[in-house]
Amino acid sequence: MSGMSLRQYMLVVDLSSGRMRREEIPPELLRAYLGGRGLGVRLLRGRHTLSPFDPAMPVVFAVGPLCGTPAPTSARLSVVSRSPLTGTVYDCSAGGRFAWRLRAAGLFAILIEGKSPRPVALAVSSAGEELLPADALWGKGVGETVRALSDRGSVATIGPAGENGVLFSNILMGEGNAVGRGGLGAVLGRKNLKAVTVDGDLRIPVADRERFDRARADVLRLFRASPVIFGELGISEYGTPALVDLMRQRRMAPTENFRRTVFEDSSAYSGPAIRAAYGAKKEGCYGCPIRCKKRASDERPLPEYETVSHFGALNAISDLHSIVRSNDACNDLGMDTISAAATLSAWGEARGRFPAAEEIGPLLHDIAHRRGEGDLLAEGSRRVAEALGKPELSMSVKSLELPAYDPRGAYGMALAYATSNRGGCHLRAYPISHEILRKPVASDRFSFSGKARMIKIAEDTNAAVDSLVACKFAFFGASLEEYAELLSGVTGEPRTPQGLKEIGERIWLTERFYNARNGFTRADDDLPTRFFTEAGSSGEGIDVPPIDRARFGEELTKYYRIRGLRDDGSFPDDGFLERQP
Amino acid sequence: MIAKTAEKLYRDCSVVQGRVGIAAQDDVMLSEGAPDLSRLAADVLSRLSCLGVVAASPSLPFASYLLRRSNADAKAIVPLDTETRTFLHDIPIVRREELSRDPAGAIAAHLSKRKGVIAEGVGIVASGPVTLEQAYIHYSSVFHAAFVKYLLDALQAGFVLPGEAEAFRSFRDTFLQPLTAEGLPFRPGPLDAPEEVLAEIRAVGRYTVLRGLVDSFFGNISYRVGDTIFISQTAASLDELAGCIDPVPTDNRSTTGITASSELLAHRRIYEATGARAILHGHPKFAVAMSMLCDVKDCPVKDCWKDCTRVRMLGDTPIVAGEIGAGGLAVRVPPVIGGPGKAIVYGHGVFAIGRDGFEEAFRSMVDVENRCREEYFRRLDARTERQSKSE
Repeated sequence: MSGMSLRQYMLVVDLSSGRMRREEIPPELLRAYLGGRGLGVRLLRGRHTLSPFDPAMPVVFAVGPLCGTPAPTSARLSVVSRSPLTGTVYDCSAGGRFAWRLRAAGLFAILIEGKSPRPVALAVSSAGEELLPADALWGKGVGETVRALSDRGSVATIGPAGENGVLFSNILMGEGNAVGRGGLGAVLGRKNLKAVTVDGDLRIPVADRERFDRARADVLRLFRASPVIFGELGISEYGTPALVDLMRQRRMAPTENFRRTVFEDSSAYSGPAIRAAYGAKKEGCYGCPIRCKKRASDERPLPEYETVSHFGALNAISDLHSIVRSNDACNDLGMDTISAAATLSAWGEARGRFPAAEEIGPLLHDIAHRRGEGDLLAEGSRRVAEALGKPELSMSVKSLELPAYDPRGAYGMALAYATSNRGGCHLRAYPISHEILRKPVASDRFSFSGKARMIKIAEDTNAAVDSLVACKFAFFGASLEEYAELLSGVTGEPRTPQGLKEIGERIWLTERFYNARNGFTRADDDLPTRFFTEAGSSGEGIDVPPIDRARFGEELTKYYRIRGLRDDGSFPDDGFLERQP
Repeated sequence: MIAKTAEKLYRDCSVVQGRVGIAAQDDVMLSEGAPDLSRLAADVLSRLSCLGVVAASPSLPFASYLLRRSNADAKAIVPLDTETRTFLHDIPIVRREELSRDPAGAIAAHLSKRKGVIAEGVGIVASGPVTLEQAYIHYSSVFHAAFVKYLLDALQAGFVLPGEAEAFRSFRDTFLQPLTAEGLPFRPGPLDAPEEVLAEIRAVGRYTVLRGLVDSFFGNISYRVGDTIFISQTAASLDELAGCIDPVPTDNRSTTGITASSELLAHRRIYEATGARAILHGHPKFAVAMSMLCDVKDCPVKDCWKDCTRVRMLGDTPIVAGEIGAGGLAVRVPPVIGGPGKAIVYGHGVFAIGRDGFEEAFRSMVDVENRCREEYFRRLDARTERQSKSE
């Protein structure tokens, strides 16, 4: 029996009327878009030009075809809508337990539209679904909300930041995983949807068990062969803060709002420092062998690399405990750590003083509740910098704040930031994998040569990965070669890496097409001026010059040609969507 | 980059002179080399979402023989060396009839699933999804795997194809050069200055490739100074280690070495167990092949390469099982390597140590490979003799 041919259902929830229905997802859409990001993007078609806060704008939660099986790192889902921070189509994937339980409730996706007249929580199980009054939860933090709903299974919730329309508010999973960055928490907040809970007990069939098991063994062997994953200094041991020392050594750690690229005190919040201070324990998403998440001995989720770096170096703070408290606050308020820290940093540079460690906590609460200066800061760094008359100090692309990889230290990353459909994100093409971590092979980080096609291929690949939905970290060891086999085993329908990349290309171009319809052009595929005019922190035999703008532009033009776009980044015709399934 | 890739293939002695075609694409397609092969490489590349393709005639006919010796309905060959098991999984074979109408299409269809293929009448074709160098690496991986498998198949089943025995004799008499450490200058240890250590690691890395102990991409090398291990990075070419050596503190106070070789843990444990200063790890092909031969009958262990707990001896060199990286290799090698100064890992390669410097390690590795060659040919000759008598 073919798993992909099995009927897959989507729950459509109209919050305005309270009506809910389960409907079958057309199998041809699953074949063409896989699930997760791809399916969500496809389901936005026709409503992709609505305002992110228009009640009719859907928010889609979608798992992938591997979810619920023992495929490594695949118990994830994507949440897709349009971002109020960037205005772009937006997706983010998250792990934990939620995705697996959603599928075990008999659902492949949930599409939420409309606006509830009062706060509600959506409760889903294999027995059915209901909308619960959530007035008593409104205003509560993530921790309290999760505790209140924990008897309903896994919880995805917003905090005060989402309720108050903070443009970088997150949706938090009960296990501490975040649907982060683009402000989808605020989209749920506008819909008066406080939380979604899922529980179920259905088992997911695997069509060809032998093929699946062989592919799974291959993946695990590759994980063991990858120093980044299972090496004694890798992310399984130290979590993503394992990157702190490396980025310092490579002189590409964004410091003081990207004015410098080395923070002398970064060892205060490195992987080993966090382990020593908090007795970090391993934690993982459902069924994940990597277990990159780290928890303190008191069970608090410990911060990721980007969080420690941005609440650290970017704001010139070396106090680890302050950084961990900032992470705790963002998690409970339901706010993105990267954008929050980067917004504070831009604000700090604009006013001539970065916030001190003890100021950060109160500022984060002010942002989440839009109090005092927090009301402006809740708008994200671009709007803050513009309001202060210094737009150049927002270190963002398409209004999304850049994470903790300085683009002057990796030119593929520079190009990838610019071309990312959701703005300044490191996870679209993720060239750090080869430019810094040497996986699957090394590339010259200070060269643009070949990067246009590398970025294009990686964007397509990762669009497929986000639609499967698998974790990017798996691809520090495995590749689509093994994941195509896992998919073939699950569905019984043969898939190839090449075929998956073609699906990824379709998804990527669809996103770009949506963005183009919302006014995005080549001018938006650009980096902040600082990176072209100011050098990074050279030293120790590593020269970090400004990026050559002409060369950057040349490579961007190449990229458009490879994508089949015009040199100005636009589509050669208007019929792209009509030609897609 | 295309020229450099071709040069590396020639330097590795893995291709026939003049029989390489390479294609790479950015916003335009470039191809160079033998006209037929470069055209084929470009045609294949145009059908794939990849950066580069290498198509070449291997310097040895082993891949072709494996294809021809396989069952007519076989779709792939499955070498069981570590390289294949971990990274290639299997190697598709594309027969002449499949190539007759649209050779590029047929090859691209297989490359859409695997990193490299053996195409009858063509040779080895490999793709590089991220870089052109990756296509070179995949070519080398297929060449290496085919080499090792053919050695084993020839030993087990003899020569069965017309001209095969003659070709093998030519390989033995002319292709295989005497393996020696002579003429290579080594710095006497112990070394203490980091610059000196880095220079010596770079030099010895080049020697290993020069002598064919590793293909350029494989293997790793390290040296310990006090509480720091200087080790080659993961996915580094041993003959191009400038800027690709990580200093790793032995107490893990820094994670900078997250880019170090996947064998970092094995190196660390070997240092702890032996007090050595230098470690050299390569994949000399006869040692890899010989490590996969076992005389035990009716053994309950199925996945010998990782689950076998025995320490077998090949002369004075112990052979142990063990998976690379975070697998059991780091557990099984350290206890056996101290005395003899060398050890072979099943299907994988040789670890050799130097108490003070690299010369001892290098000579050990040369010695192991020479002994494995001798033993291989002793067994092959005995087999051939038996075969002749029975005929």
